[in-house]
Amino acid sequence: MDQDEYTHFGFQKVKASEKAHKVAEVFHSVAGKYDLMNDLMSGGIHRLWKLFTIEMAAVRPGHAVLDIAGGTGDLAAKFSRLVGPQGTVVLADINNAMLRVGRDKLLDRGLSQNLEFVQADAQYLPFPDNTFDCITIAFGLRNVTDKDLALRSMLRVLKPGGRLLVLEFSKPRSSVLEKAYDLYSFRVLPVMGRLVAGDADSYRYLAESIRMHPDQDTLKHMMEDAGFVQCQYHNMTGGIVALHKGIKA
Amino acid sequence: MSETIDKKLLAILVCPVSKAPLVYDRDNSELVCPASGLAYPIRDGIPVMLESEARQISLEEKEKYS
Repeated sequence: MDQDEYTHFGFQKVKASEKAHKVAEVFHSVAGKYDLMNDLMSGGIHRLWKLFTIEMAAVRPGHAVLDIAGGTGDLAAKFSRLVGPQGTVVLADINNAMLRVGRDKLLDRGLSQNLEFVQADAQYLPFPDNTFDCITIAFGLRNVTDKDLALRSMLRVLKPGGRLLVLEFSKPRSSVLEKAYDLYSFRVLPVMGRLVAGDADSYRYLAESIRMHPDQDTLKHMMEDAGFVQCQYHNMTGGIVALHKGIKA
Repeated sequence: MSETIDKKLLAILVCPVSKAPLVYDRDNSELVCPASGLAYPIRDGIPVMLESEARQISLEEKEKYS
C-alpha cells in the first residue's frame, strides 16, 4: 500500500502512513485497563472465544507458536503450558506498552521459560521463513494498515503444514442482533470506556474499526489470495466474532 | 547499560527488512544487521524489531561486522 494512499481509522479516513501512529495512541491509552475492559465489554465471553481458538490451534509439546498482537498475553499463557519445555512461544506486538503489560503479567505467573517477547510489525515479521507451527492473531488484524501484506508475512514464517488462526470481530448473522449490537457498541461502549479507562475516544475507535473490518467471506478470500489453503471460518456469538483458519501448503 | 537477550530468541530473529541474521552487540544493547545496515535497539530486555525505531549504522561499523 502506498503510504500516501488513504486508509480507514475507524470511520475516519487517514493517510496510510498515519494509521499505525493513531492505533498506537489508542493502545498506549488503554494498555493498563485492557484486561478489565475486555471482561466488562464482552461480559467475560472473550474468554470463551479465546478458549475455542486454543482448541483449534491444536498445539502440541515441542511446537513453535507465534502470537501476533498478543498484547496482554492471554493466548500466550495457555500456549506456554501446551508446548512445554521443548517448545517456544513468541509473543509479538507492535505496541511496547501492551507488550510490557503482557510480559509483567506472564512473569508474575511464573511463565517465562519458553516465552519470548518481541516488538514487531505484523506486516514485516522479523523471523526466518518456515519457523512456526502455529500463528495466532486475536483482535489484532483489524488494526493492521495493510492486511494483505501482513497475511503474506505470516504465511512466509509458517512452516509448511502450519496453521494461521485469526480471531476477530466480524459481521453478526441476523439483523436483529446487528441492531442490538450497534446500539451497544456506539452508545454503551464509549461510556464504559470513559468511566473505566478514562478514554471514550479509544472505545469509539474500537466500535468503528469493527464495522470497517472485512466480513467473514471477504477475510476468507483475502487469506486464500495470500496463499493459504483449506481456509474456513467458525462464527461465534452469532457472528459478532469469527475464527478464521488457514493452512500453509 | 547493557541488556541481555535470550539465546533462543536471538536464534529465531532476523532483520525484518533484509531477512538476514543479526549480530548481537552487547555493549550497545543492539541487534545489528550488516546486510541492511540497521541496528535495532533492545529496550527493557525486549528487542524492538521495527524499521522506524532502528538506527542506521556507519560505514565503519558495517566493516566491523562484515
